[in-house]
Order: sequence, then C-alpha cells, then structure tokens
Amino acid sequence: MNSPSQQNTGTPVGRGSAAPARAADEAPVIDFDKFKPTRSHVAARKRKDLFMRVLIVLAFAIACIPLVSVLWTTLARGFRRLNWDFLSHNMTNVIGGNPTPSGGYGGILHAVIGTLEITLGAMVISIPVGVLCAVYLIEYAGKSRLADAIHLLVDVMSGIPSIVAGLFAFSMFALLAGPGTLNGFEGSVALSLLMLPTVVKTTEEMLKIVPNDLREASLALGVTKQRTITKVVLRTALPGIVSGAILAIARVIGETAPLLMTAGYIVSTNANLFSGQMTTLPVYVYQEYSKYRANCPADASDGCVTSIPMERAWSAALVLIIIVLILNVIGRVVARVLAPKKK
Amino acid sequence: MHPKVPRRLLAALCATAMAAALAACGDNVDPNETPTRDASSIAGSFAGAGASSQQSAVEAWIAGFQKKNPDAKISYNPSGSGAGVTTFLTGATVWAGSDRPLSDDQVKESTQVCAGKEAFDVPVYISPLAVVYHVEGLEGDTHIRMDVSVLARIFDGKITNWNDRAIAALNPDLKLPDLPITVVHRSDKSGTTLNFVEYLKAAAPKEWKYATEENWPNDVGQGAKGTSGVISTIDQANGTIGYADFSQVGDLGTVDIKVGDSYTRISAEAASLAVADSTLEEESAGSNRVVLDINHTTTTEGAYPIVLVSYDIACPVYADADTARFAKAFLGYVVSDDGQEQAMRATGSAPLPDNIASLVQASVSKIAPEGE
Repeated sequence: MNSPSQQNTGTPVGRGSAAPARAADEAPVIDFDKFKPTRSHVAARKRKDLFMRVLIVLAFAIACIPLVSVLWTTLARGFRRLNWDFLSHNMTNVIGGNPTPSGGYGGILHAVIGTLEITLGAMVISIPVGVLCAVYLIEYAGKSRLADAIHLLVDVMSGIPSIVAGLFAFSMFALLAGPGTLNGFEGSVALSLLMLPTVVKTTEEMLKIVPNDLREASLALGVTKQRTITKVVLRTALPGIVSGAILAIARVIGETAPLLMTAGYIVSTNANLFSGQMTTLPVYVYQEYSKYRANCPADASDGCVTSIPMERAWSAALVLIIIVLILNVIGRVVARVLAPKKK
Repeated sequence: MHPKVPRRLLAALCATAMAAALAACGDNVDPNETPTRDASSIAGSFAGAGASSQQSAVEAWIAGFQKKNPDAKISYNPSGSGAGVTTFLTGATVWAGSDRPLSDDQVKESTQVCAGKEAFDVPVYISPLAVVYHVEGLEGDTHIRMDVSVLARIFDGKITNWNDRAIAALNPDLKLPDLPITVVHRSDKSGTTLNFVEYLKAAAPKEWKYATEENWPNDVGQGAKGTSGVISTIDQANGTIGYADFSQVGDLGTVDIKVGDSYTRISAEAASLAVADSTLEEESAGSNRVVLDINHTTTTEGAYPIVLVSYDIACPVYADADTARFAKAFLGYVVSDDGQEQAMRATGSAPLPDNIASLVQASVSKIAPEGE
C-alpha cells in the first residue's frame, strides 16, 4: 500500500528532471505522509474490495445456476430414452404407452429431418440477403439517408416477436398458395425473418473491423471495387461472418411458435420441404409435453409406460441442445479453416 | 438405343427408390407383419386439425388406418377446436375435430368448401371427466363420494373444508381431515371446462348459476394451463381438487359421483352408459348431423354423467374424388367398432354406445364425391 506515495515523492516534483536546483529548493515541500491513507482507511478499502469481489463472484454464480440447472436436468432426464431406436424412428404406429414392434417407444427421426431442412432453408434465404445488405451498408451506402432507413428497419426487425414472423409467413402463403397452406418452406420463411437482422448486424460489425489499409492497398494496385470486396474484404471478414451466421441459426433453431403455425405437425416422416406438413424438434417437444401422460389399458404388457410422452419430450430437448452444440463446433472449425493465414 | 439410356434409366430408378425409402423412413412397422395393400387401399396426403383432447385417439386411429392403407399420409394438427373448425372452413383440411358441434353460422359457411352442401358433425370420442383430488390418506383404493350439489358448492367456493358436514354426511366410513379445500381449474379456454360446467349447470341449477362457456366462470381457487398443468398442480399440494380427462389421472384419487341412489366410480363403460341414455338435439340445423344432448341427470344405475364428447366435422360431398374416398374410409374406420376399440385402448376413452354408433355410421357412409 505504500507504493503510490513513494511514486508520488519520486516524479512530479522534478528532482530528477533538468530543472535548476534553485527552483527545486523554492518549491514548497510537500509532506506526502499527509496523503498517506490512514490504517482504518486502508482497512475500509480492503473491506470494500472484498465485498465487491464476493458480490461479483456471487453474480457470476447466480448467472450460472439456471444454465447449469437446465443442462443438468435435460441431461439427467433426457438420457434415459435417448438411444439409436429413438433417433431412427418416427411416431407412426405409436399407440398409447405401448412399445412399438422394434422395442422402442417411437422417436424423433421425422423431427430431426424437419428441423435440419427448415433451418437450412432459412439459411439459404437469409444469409445471402443479409450479407449483401451488410456489404451495401458498409461499402456503398456511406452516410446516405437510405442507409439510415435500413439501419432503423434492421433494428426494428430484430425486435419482432417470433409469433409475428410466423403470422407473416402464414398469411403470405395463404395469399400465394391458398388458405391454410402448411409446409416446411413456410417455416423457413418465418425463421429467415428472425435470422436476417442478426446476420446483417454481425456481418456489418465484421466488415467494419476490416482495416481500411487493406481496401486501399487493393484499390491502389488497380483491383476493381467488386474484386476488392469479394476477394479482400469478405475474405478477411469470413470467419466472423460464419460465426455470426451460426449465432443466428442458434437463435432460430429452437423457435416453436412460428413453426407451430407454419410447418404443422405430423407423425410420419416428410422429407419434402415444399409440400406437406413437417414436424420440427421444438414443436415435437411441445406436443409431447401437452400429451403429458399416455394410457395403458388394463391388459397391457409390462412394457407399457404411462409417463412416456414426458420422457420423449426431455430426450428430444436434449437432442436439440446437442444439435446446437454440433452446429457451434462446425461453425468454429469452419471459421478456423477459413481464417486468413497470419505470419 | 442410345448408349446412355440404360444408365439414365438406372439412375432414375435409383432416385425413385431412394425417395420412396426416405418417405417411409423410420416408420414403426412390424417386420413380421406386411401391411395389406389391396384395390381399395388409399394413397395420398390428407390433413385434419382441431381439438387437442382427441389428439391421442386420432394418433391411434391414424396408426390403425395405416395398417390397411400404408400409403396414406395423414396429419392431425392439435391446434384446438376453434382453430380446427376455422381451418376446415377455409378448405385446407379434410376434416376437423371439435369439442363443440358446429354453430348455425358455421353450417351455412361450410357450403363454400363442401361443394354446395352443408357440413355435418358426428360424435367420435367420448371421454369421462374425472373429479380429481389429492388428500393424503384418502387415495388409492378409497374414493370420496359426492353428489352434484356438494360438487357445485365446492367449485363455487361455498364448501371450503374437507371435513365439512355436507361431505361427511355422504362419507360416513371415511375419516375426513380438517384441511382447507383448494380448487384447481383450467386457466385456458377448454372443452374440458365447458363439459364440466355443463354438467354442474344441468344437474345442480340451484347451486351453479354461471353461464356455460369454455373459460372458468368464477374466481375460486387456482388456475392451471392445460390438463397437464391441472394434474401437476393437484399433485403438488395437499387438499386440492380439480377436473381432468380420465386418461391423465394417474395415481390421484377420483370422486365417486352419486347417480340415482348409488355412487358410480369413473370408468369408460360407465361413461358410455350415460351417453347411451342421452338424446339427440333435434333443432340442430343441417342434415346428417348427430349432435348429442348429454343427459347429465341420468339415473341409470352405473352410468357416469360427467363426459366430454368430441366431434368430427366433415363434408357430405367433396369436390375431389380421392378426398371423398379418404374421408369416407377414415371416418368410417373411426366410428367402427374396431376404431372405437383402438381409441379405448390408446386413451381410455368410452366406446360409442350401439344406438349412437349406428346413427353415426349411417351419416358417415353417405359421404360421396361430387356428382354421385
């Protein structure tokens, strides 16, 4: 605790500087001991320091509790029914709590296919549009009014409740393809609305941090603007753009409400994104939760489980978490592979 | 022949085979039991939507129907009665499930999607509603007995303790605890609530003065979302009472209801008896309709008067011949003895009583494509 006062005595008075010795003599002598913190003061500071440390650690712990609890509960409850049979079958021919001919209790194959296809569809729509929009904002628009308007719209869009996106897609398809149309692609459209602002914003941030020197060097060598953007700017920002896209996917892959309205619910596998209803994992979890309990008739075999819908819901939730995790890992790997080499 | 033709043919064949394999991907079929396809088998995609109360039963029906028609893809979206009927009236679904029969306006509106004819509704799913309670020591093999007047007063907040004299008088053999009663009801709109308050209103008009609607009418007790919410709320506290679909009751206690001079324990057969004793609503507009007016004040011995009746709504005429064939076959299966048995095994519902079943089957058999 003495170090600050020692430093103070050393430097500002200028004893070591080139100033004349007389000036130093005439200067008022400062009694730095006066500024020394008293012992009680030091103790109070220490107490305060400790208090704040504890507070911060506590806040961290509190923030971790729900996260750990959610992960742990899902793992503990979901692990029970998570096996190959669960992953490789759909829900056809599942009657009450009775086991199916393969010895399982139905599964989520159709929901996994649905989730992956619908999310892929949303990516195909929103990533090109989002990246191009960000390129326009950073490279072309400058400070025009149109750019301000787009910024505002993107901000507003990122606050759209997901159910509104679902309503939009539902009514759009009702107008284009007849009332009450439900299919997987409709779900993709709804999700792409939710992804778009995240993609635009993260890409914009990534393009902003590409050093201007790179652009100038490229242009100075006579490279056209188009090639500068595609080969230099986007190439440099690519890892960031990829992780932004992954973030956007993680945001939408667990959406239930818009998919409930647009993609529907069916027990059999439907691999066609453009026709027929499609089950997705979040919707599956919701539907199984609403069933709550399955019936076992009095003469049912021992294999009949009344609590099977809830167990299926937990396992499906666990699979959803694992899929998000895998996507994150893929995103990181892709970002690392694509990162510009540094020497 | 062009040298590339065989290779292309092979590729096309493989592609079709793959698409077919992917479509049937993961179906739970018994390897020893090949599904029977014959000339009358139906193929194609068909959609229904509506009441979530029917969901488990519809899934069982779809499974049963697909045994004979493995190429029919059927979806049922349990979006709720109101949403199901609305979707049906847009023509997007083949049939709708609903906890309520069609209103006169809806019947008129249906001519737009039914090739000029009026849609009809038939009861397909009858489920007893249990009065569920959780009082420690009075569950398992013991059942508290109540009559409708006591029930109405409990759910109206007039009887507030389990050792109330009115309950004790009906249960001389039980030692009722000194414990406040907590009523648990549905907080969301629900056909279960509607059917339960209809019973209270019909059987105890003096004690139950509220209008019958799908929302819970008073401020007594505590609301919970969905049947699962009601069951878990009842399960978590001591001294709770509520109402729920029989199949969801699990280990909780159920109340024996006084019917005539005796007490009826809840069961599918008992509910079926009460429905058999009911009359048809004559004034319902439209032809072919079978709308039940449940006899809540039945005195038939062994009948259980609190039942939920869920309807299927369909067109008598469909513009598309395939859809008509599917609707006739599927609904025909649903109301057949086989179909009702399948639902009973899957959900614990009550089978349609014979007198009603024959009416319903006659209605369904009249479904036809346009122009026939």
